[in-house]
Amino acid sequence: MPAFLAKVPAAPRDYSACSGCSLCLLVCPMWRSSHDPVFTPEGLAKALQCGATASELAAPIAACSLCGACDPVCPERIDLSGMIMDLRRRLANALPSDSPRPALLDELHARLQQGAPATAPVASRSVPVLLPGPVLRSDPALMAQVQALLGIAVFDDDGDDIALAIEVGVEIPQQRLHAFLDSLRGHSIVAADGLLLRQLRRWLPGSQRMGLGPALSTRAAVRSNLAPSDLYVIEPRAFHGDYERMVGYYDRLQRETGCSLSLDLQRIAIPASSSGLEHRLGLVPKRDVLRGVADDDVQARWLLQGRTPARIVVESLADRAAFGRVCDLPVVYLAELGEDPEMMKKFRHAFG
Amino acid sequence: MRRFFFPGYYSSPASKRTILLNIPPVEPGTVGPCPVAPDALQGIKRQQTNPARWNGAGWEPFVATLRAAGLDLAEGAAACGVYLTDAGGTACGLPHGVVLARSAGQIALLLKAAQAHRVPVTVRGGGLTTEGESVAFGGVLLDMTGMSRVLAIDAAALTVRTEAGIYWHSLAEELRRKNLDYLSAPLNLTSSVGGTLGVGGIDVNSARLGCSADQALSLQVVTPTGDVVECSDDENPELFQRVILGYGQFGIITEATLRLRPYTPLAMHYFYYSSLRTAIEDLQMLDRNDASDYSGILTIMDCAVNLLVAFDSAEREAAFRANWKSRLRGHGELGFGLCMAGHYALRPWKLREALYLLQRKRAVFPEFRRAEYMRDGKMHDRTVVFSRAVWKHWGSRNMVIPDLAMPADRFVEAVERGNAVCRKYFSHYTLYCVGIRLRPEHRPHYEMSCIPPGAEGWVYGCEFEPMIEGGVYSRDHFQAFKNAIYDIGLDLGGSYYRFGGMMKGYIRRVFGDELVERHLAMKRRADPAMILNRDVIF
Repeated sequence: MPAFLAKVPAAPRDYSACSGCSLCLLVCPMWRSSHDPVFTPEGLAKALQCGATASELAAPIAACSLCGACDPVCPERIDLSGMIMDLRRRLANALPSDSPRPALLDELHARLQQGAPATAPVASRSVPVLLPGPVLRSDPALMAQVQALLGIAVFDDDGDDIALAIEVGVEIPQQRLHAFLDSLRGHSIVAADGLLLRQLRRWLPGSQRMGLGPALSTRAAVRSNLAPSDLYVIEPRAFHGDYERMVGYYDRLQRETGCSLSLDLQRIAIPASSSGLEHRLGLVPKRDVLRGVADDDVQARWLLQGRTPARIVVESLADRAAFGRVCDLPVVYLAELGEDPEMMKKFRHAFG
Repeated sequence: MRRFFFPGYYSSPASKRTILLNIPPVEPGTVGPCPVAPDALQGIKRQQTNPARWNGAGWEPFVATLRAAGLDLAEGAAACGVYLTDAGGTACGLPHGVVLARSAGQIALLLKAAQAHRVPVTVRGGGLTTEGESVAFGGVLLDMTGMSRVLAIDAAALTVRTEAGIYWHSLAEELRRKNLDYLSAPLNLTSSVGGTLGVGGIDVNSARLGCSADQALSLQVVTPTGDVVECSDDENPELFQRVILGYGQFGIITEATLRLRPYTPLAMHYFYYSSLRTAIEDLQMLDRNDASDYSGILTIMDCAVNLLVAFDSAEREAAFRANWKSRLRGHGELGFGLCMAGHYALRPWKLREALYLLQRKRAVFPEFRRAEYMRDGKMHDRTVVFSRAVWKHWGSRNMVIPDLAMPADRFVEAVERGNAVCRKYFSHYTLYCVGIRLRPEHRPHYEMSCIPPGAEGWVYGCEFEPMIEGGVYSRDHFQAFKNAIYDIGLDLGGSYYRFGGMMKGYIRRVFGDELVERHLAMKRRADPAMILNRDVIF
């Protein structure tokens, strides 16, 4: 077959390819809360084209939540969230070594240098493993429920330090990264952190990977309890990181269950929160924390505007708090749908 | 085909920055050297291609006035870089500073200060101009997208009041939650409401519903002297007439009340032709007979001409099948493919063209049928589908899209002559044709606009869009191409959608001195310091 007829995915491009179409802006939570084009991937790309430095762009670089909504809409195939992560790395590297750093960063550096924690051996290389992430891990009962639903082993080294390093732009020591990837090789991976999942796609291209949300929603116990009156809130990072496949998966989920999805007209997942880097690092002064909460509220309110769900089902535990602030609707974590028969009975009674 | 390289211009962001920041200041009233390229308007008596950059006189006290009044103005590459150019990418200029629109009161304050200090203000919505109309060559860039809230939706009266900086797509996102839709808007996700009302706007339903500006019921406008005024057909009608399709000369639209309709997905039909003339005749036949809800033509050069026809309801679709479908001379996809195969089998020397068509078909056709945008065979958001396809397969860092707006009876000739020009200048191109139904009661809006003087019934527009495909062309080449297209309009008594900015040399030739002088006198009265969008039309 002639080369031009072969369907080979083109390599991602860099900021210089930005033609200024603004499609990324339409889906960007930073833009929704600021209505300032500088706080958009396009604004960053255009400023870079004009010679702006990473430090001049520090505010939008830090404000980005890395939801990845911009990536699938870019007609020039620019890796926009990759561009922002790269800018974060540049900013982090430009910091003088003696400059004050948040405690979380020091702790992260120490963990990365320390290497992998002692990992309980998993019986076989072909066994699927769960990388639960720190939020789920902090709720042992819920994690047990997830584990029971999926029937898979929890990986002790779930790479949460690596995930955080990717997010904040900290260099990952090769030794740590290789140890982590080597331990995962051959396993099917279910990861709660969408950003880590996205990177695993690049680091372990032949492996089978899945987000925790899709993994849970494949379970009959969960799926059968999704109702047409539910608003199903997709975890955006995993969704956008594997968009072509995921958009088809969720369309099928919607057809089969009748629930409505947190997708916009472009079929992009609307993030329920938009917290950026500063919140992640706990860097923000109190008044800005409040502003950040308001920003999160913008997204959650927008998701609910004009919709009248009886219940909200979230794939990400972090989204529960965002909805809890803006509405009185029951907000259920996906795994909880398959949890308690009595509760399920109650939901069925309440929502038909 | 002759291509020209432009050494150094696109070599790196750093070199671009150097070139742009070295634009020499020019005294007011004089014409300076073009900062980008030698003058290229072949055949037109014209002294410059880009406007001269404003010399910055009085900038500091102006900024001090704004800041004293608590108005935010951003300066520097990080703030201004995003506004370097427009969708055309051939006009480049940087403002001295940027103001994000937040309210009519803030804009009024800005314009009052700008009048007092004689600082130019360039207004930008989606930035989808192609001739530099929304590029600031110095002065203030006012970004209207900061005013993007939907203020009130009246589902019973089928109206919406919205801030005018909003993108049509953002408006659609809000309306769709209430199962409503706007009447018509450009098939581009990032067109803004205010920008569209200022120039017209066409959709594939314009042959039924008129241009997008026709759906405006009333506007809030900030005049160039900083008065906030409400206008409509009944209230300040003269201002309403001048602001609609006024190319931003007589005020800044800050809010708009628009007509709405219930939302419906579209049942699409595609017919393929190998003749432009036949396809256009069929398009006009459908429009005259109100046989479809949507109609338009999109081509791959003049080889594969796609007439798209779409419907809001099963009843209308059934009536089309019963009464009109058999009269169309186009083929279905399979039939057309067989015709093309036969055509090129007999013309092996055109193999390259055939391969291009095949490649284009494979790339573009699936975009219009993506499963995520279709439900039960119906297209759920035409703008999402078309706009994503347009940016993916037509968009690039440079775009020139000269157009012709013609009375119905001269449209076929205009398109055929324009097509010949495209063939002469570019290897590959696309034509996009659509009808616009004229609203007799809106005739005053149409004066000195894309609607040709004296047109009755329908006007037909055709955009001629070369595929740049990573090629590098000189601005001379682009400009000569545009001029050749626009000369057809002059010859046949048409008008243009994009006659501002770099194409403003045609305005007097199309509309005549008397009309232009009358509008210029109105502009001088409305905008004494001539600060508002000053290089777009006059």
